[in-house]
Amino acid sequence: MQQLSSLKVLLLIGGLTFASFAMSSDLVLVVHLNNPTSTLSRSQVIDLYMGKFVAFPDGSKATPVDIENDLETRAEFYESLVGMPLARVNAYWSKVKFSGRARPPIQKKNEQAILDFIMETENAIAYIHKDKVTSDVKVVYRLNE
Amino acid sequence: MNKSGLLVRLAVVIGFASIAIGFLSTQLFYKVTFNQEVAFTQQSIGSLYKTIAATAGTAAYLAEKDLAQEVVDGLATNEVVLNAKMNFENIEVVNNEGTFNDPITFSIQSLFEADKSIGTLVIAPNIKYIKEKARQIARDNAKAMIMQACVVTLVAISVAFLLITKPMVNIARALHITVPGEGNRLSVPDFHQNSELGQVVRDVNILLDKTEEQFTRERKLRQEIEGLEKRFRMLFENSLSPIILIEPRGDILLFNVAFETTLEKLGLQLKKSYGPLLENLFAAPEQLVSAVEMAFANDEIATGEYKLQTSKDSMSVWVQVVVTSIINEDLREYYQITLHDISKRKRELESLAYQADYDKLTKLYNRRGLEKNIELFIKQERQFCLVLIDLNWFKRINDVYGHESGDEILVFVADRIKKTLRPQDFGGRWGGDEFVLLLDDADEATSRELITRLVQRISKPYFLSKFRQNAKVGASIGAAFYPDDGRKLQAIINLADKAMYDVKELKRTAPEISIKFAHELDVEDIIYG
Repeated sequence: MQQLSSLKVLLLIGGLTFASFAMSSDLVLVVHLNNPTSTLSRSQVIDLYMGKFVAFPDGSKATPVDIENDLETRAEFYESLVGMPLARVNAYWSKVKFSGRARPPIQKKNEQAILDFIMETENAIAYIHKDKVTSDVKVVYRLNE
Repeated sequence: MNKSGLLVRLAVVIGFASIAIGFLSTQLFYKVTFNQEVAFTQQSIGSLYKTIAATAGTAAYLAEKDLAQEVVDGLATNEVVLNAKMNFENIEVVNNEGTFNDPITFSIQSLFEADKSIGTLVIAPNIKYIKEKARQIARDNAKAMIMQACVVTLVAISVAFLLITKPMVNIARALHITVPGEGNRLSVPDFHQNSELGQVVRDVNILLDKTEEQFTRERKLRQEIEGLEKRFRMLFENSLSPIILIEPRGDILLFNVAFETTLEKLGLQLKKSYGPLLENLFAAPEQLVSAVEMAFANDEIATGEYKLQTSKDSMSVWVQVVVTSIINEDLREYYQITLHDISKRKRELESLAYQADYDKLTKLYNRRGLEKNIELFIKQERQFCLVLIDLNWFKRINDVYGHESGDEILVFVADRIKKTLRPQDFGGRWGGDEFVLLLDDADEATSRELITRLVQRISKPYFLSKFRQNAKVGASIGAAFYPDDGRKLQAIINLADKAMYDVKELKRTAPEISIKFAHELDVEDIIYG
């Protein structure tokens, strides 16, 4: 029985290690090539996505984008950024929405739709998998850093 | 109920102790409760914060004043919170204008970034409310305590009453009415067979046993003493002789019935004292006193015969007095005086003396008495006339009428003599029908006159009632004077005798002559007669 519980603890630790390992995702944040911003800090990314300061460092208004259909990617993004599951992020927005001061990011269907939107919108910002990055977008932040 | 009774004292002590303990514990409990409440309040404020931490974090993160206001207002609605405020990005949101005493400050953590403080939330706990609550709890507790104290007191008193006081009171009551010697014993109270009370009762019973035993012994002793005393008293009280115990000063300490009887006989009242050695009772106390002093000086018991002081009419009382000096344990001296009545013996002795000197029949002196008294006159050289009387015809009366009649005549003659004599004179029967008179300091004329009268009286006929006959005697009388006729009794008697014979010789021839004096005799007669 004791051996069994020790085994459970080992498995649990292993699982956690695996999870944290998974948290270091290979997602990156991308913007329009004409965007003057070359790089963003983690706090700046958080403020952009959580509605506190929805603008780029030069003061121009930003439009953050969420992925709509790929919930796995979205969860991975928020987990890596603020360490919250999607449910809590949704709860946060449902609370904040009524105040009218902040709005949650707009949503695009998939990564392709996101790339298209970035390419045609100069003040947009979105997260995509590293391997989907093209030369038509600029990477300003890497979540695994 | 007895104010200092055990139960009352116990009740007072337990009651006060309960109240004191209740009061102290209430105070203590209040403090503990207050601290607990404060801690609990802090804890609950902590939990309160936890419930609004997310909202507060959101408000601080977004610098959302309205949301922050909602947070502090919401906190303030809780009764443990007096006031609340939030600080973030130079913004302060407060519930009310009240001051912040004993504030609890929480750091508002960033929702999205670990270990990043983005503001503070300050909560002022409602100390007054906490105090009030603690007080309320303490009050309830105090009530419970008082109830408990009452119950404890009641239980303690009941237990004490049933277990200690009641048995003790019962024991005390039983002991109170127990009289040693009646055989009553205390009973051991229920449930106290092995307790100290049971032991006390058993000890008391043992004590009672011992006391009773002693009582019995003493009673027996007392009875013996009483019996002895009774016998002594019997001895003392029934003694025919008065026994008196006096102090040397004369105060009477003890006396018996015989003494009272003697006093009555003497016609005296019972008094506390009759002087030292009862001297007032004696006719000649100085004799007694000196005799006693002498005897005591020689360490002897004083005895002697003394006459008691009596009133004139009553008979003389003589007693043999025995005085014993008694010295008791505390060295005080007492005299025990015993009086033995010897009056009877004295009277007998007197009567014996009387018989020796008197003639039984005529109650006049006999020859011995006459001689004794005449010798007394001669010794004192007192002048007197001696008269010798011889009855005439007495022998014939004796022969005719018998001795009894003769005696009757003699008594008659003696009676005449007694009637004729002067107080200073006396007379007696010389023997047979001869009588002798002594006339004190009488000359011839006086003597003659007195003798003549006597002869007349004697010569009167005497009526012998037995024979209804008159008898008549006469007298031949001779007389002699002392010291004129002789200085010796016998000489005088002889002279008187001669003179008397002369008269007798002549009684037929000269019956008118009945008396002749010695100096009238012829010289021859004196010599040869």
